[in-house]
Amino acid sequence: MTAQLAFLIGLVVAIVALALTRKQWGPAAGHAIPSIWRIAKITVAEARRRRVIQAVVILVVVILVSMTFFSYLSPHEQSRMLISGGLSAITVFGILLAIFIAAFLIPQELESRTVYAILAKPVRRFEFVLGKYVGALIILAAIVVVMTVVLVGVLLIQDQLVQDLPDSAFNPNLEAVIFAAVMNYFAVAILTGLIILISTVASTTMTVISAFIIWAVGSLQSTIHDLAEHADIAVTKLLLLVVYNVLPKLENFDYRHEVSNYMPINVGSGIEAIVQGAGYTIVVLILASIFFNDRQV
Amino acid sequence: MRHRRTPIGSLALLMVGILLMLIPLQESIHKARPHLFDPDRKTRRVSAISIGPTPAVIAALGGFRTLAADLLWLKAEHVWHGGSWWAMLPILDAVTQLDPHFILAWQVYGWHSAYNLHAESETIVDKRYWLDYGVKALERAVEANPDNWEMIFELGWTLYDRAHKPWRAAEYFYRADQFPESKSYVTRLYYRCFERVLDFDRLFPALEYAKNRHADPTVSDDVQHQVIVTRDMEWWTQHKDDPMEHRRQIVLENTARADRAVPFYLYPDNPYWDVCSICGLPSPKGSEVCSVCGAPLKRLSRGGVEETTGVSRQSNL
Repeated sequence: MTAQLAFLIGLVVAIVALALTRKQWGPAAGHAIPSIWRIAKITVAEARRRRVIQAVVILVVVILVSMTFFSYLSPHEQSRMLISGGLSAITVFGILLAIFIAAFLIPQELESRTVYAILAKPVRRFEFVLGKYVGALIILAAIVVVMTVVLVGVLLIQDQLVQDLPDSAFNPNLEAVIFAAVMNYFAVAILTGLIILISTVASTTMTVISAFIIWAVGSLQSTIHDLAEHADIAVTKLLLLVVYNVLPKLENFDYRHEVSNYMPINVGSGIEAIVQGAGYTIVVLILASIFFNDRQV
Repeated sequence: MRHRRTPIGSLALLMVGILLMLIPLQESIHKARPHLFDPDRKTRRVSAISIGPTPAVIAALGGFRTLAADLLWLKAEHVWHGGSWWAMLPILDAVTQLDPHFILAWQVYGWHSAYNLHAESETIVDKRYWLDYGVKALERAVEANPDNWEMIFELGWTLYDRAHKPWRAAEYFYRADQFPESKSYVTRLYYRCFERVLDFDRLFPALEYAKNRHADPTVSDDVQHQVIVTRDMEWWTQHKDDPMEHRRQIVLENTARADRAVPFYLYPDNPYWDVCSICGLPSPKGSEVCSVCGAPLKRLSRGGVEETTGVSRQSNL
């Protein structure tokens, strides 16, 4: 009941806020999309030139392919190992690439002073921030797609090569694997938004460190919630609740456990996590735009 | 360079609105994935002896718990092949604590304790300890995986076959049998529990129950099941009033026959071996002649169709 009330109040407040600002965002919306798209394309072109991204992607592919050498295990164990290890590789390298791509996007523009040339054109600052974000999303989508395709390919090939036993069959669980990879991409997208927010106010080093901390804490949010519930000291409880409510709940997007154990996947909870993540990212990007707008450039 | 004033008030209002709208979602996500978000899942005592990782370590691993369990499982494989049976125990304990839904690990954990370590032990007290340990491990497994019929069956089988507690085993066989994907042998084991101890008050209702299960005449396994159940039902109807000693003798004979190990290559429809009708030994499927005695394994049927001469024998279960 309280949750439903919160939703209704939130809906009313959001509609009122949009109505109040309609004169500002109404005319700007038509102009913003082409500008955002142009900046996103430039961001993608810049990322393509960075060798480190290509090297990391090749490394992931090599890791995934090398995971087929567990032939001494039973077929069921092999499929489980491949799925669990493959999805973990996609998660780790997806997050690492997100951190190292997003953390450099805005600071690099500021350091190289190319931002002056961009902002001298009819480009608003929020368009610049959103363009950078969309560009990062495109690059990360391409990387996650490549890694997922390789994992699915390895699973399909192994499914053909491994001979099933009467009580142990190789089960590639492809639909669930793809679902888990897609959910992982959404986690990466949320973290990217947050990294861009931090990079508007902090240095690159600080952004990278903060991103790792947020990733670690965001992946343990249910533990933090449990700790908050069991905390005896009021200040500790408050601190933990603040962390729980402010940082993204990245473990909502983590389906590795269910997929590796061939458990039924609750798609509804995945959709809810995406909606929640989208709302969170919108808030984060609004904040990033505000901070970047107020920054002396 | 345009630099417009930010409408901070309106934007703050918008952000508050969005965040309020997100509140109900987290509650719903928690309810949908209780195995990940149930607040009791980490504080629950998961091991009879604390040899696995602490709850703090498990929590710190976050989403990488499954991967950690897999890596330890690989270690368990090495230890197993090295013959260090006692060293398997802490590894299996850690694996099952890290990933309580890893069914194979639970099965091996329970079986290893109740069978291998029980057999390795020298005193009766030690044997009893490891048998109970295996049963307890499987009970924890069932608690962690109440929706997995194989896990429930495994506990039932250990109680039936190793702990010799058929009434308790019957409860688990019955529970496992309620799952649509359960196999017909589970249904038959349910009434065999009562058969073994001559509990006729429960045996006949259990036979009636088994008769009504797996009754699809188009499924070969169901047909086989019906034949076995009908045979057993008729037999017990005929012999239920025999002198007790006679019935006990028959049960012992039946049990001995059922428990006798059937060579793996004699299981029906095995995809790997053909059995020579002359010497009775296996050769790889598709061989022209027996690899032991050289007798031809294939012959032409009357219609000119090639047939294997491999024999198949039904398990008494």
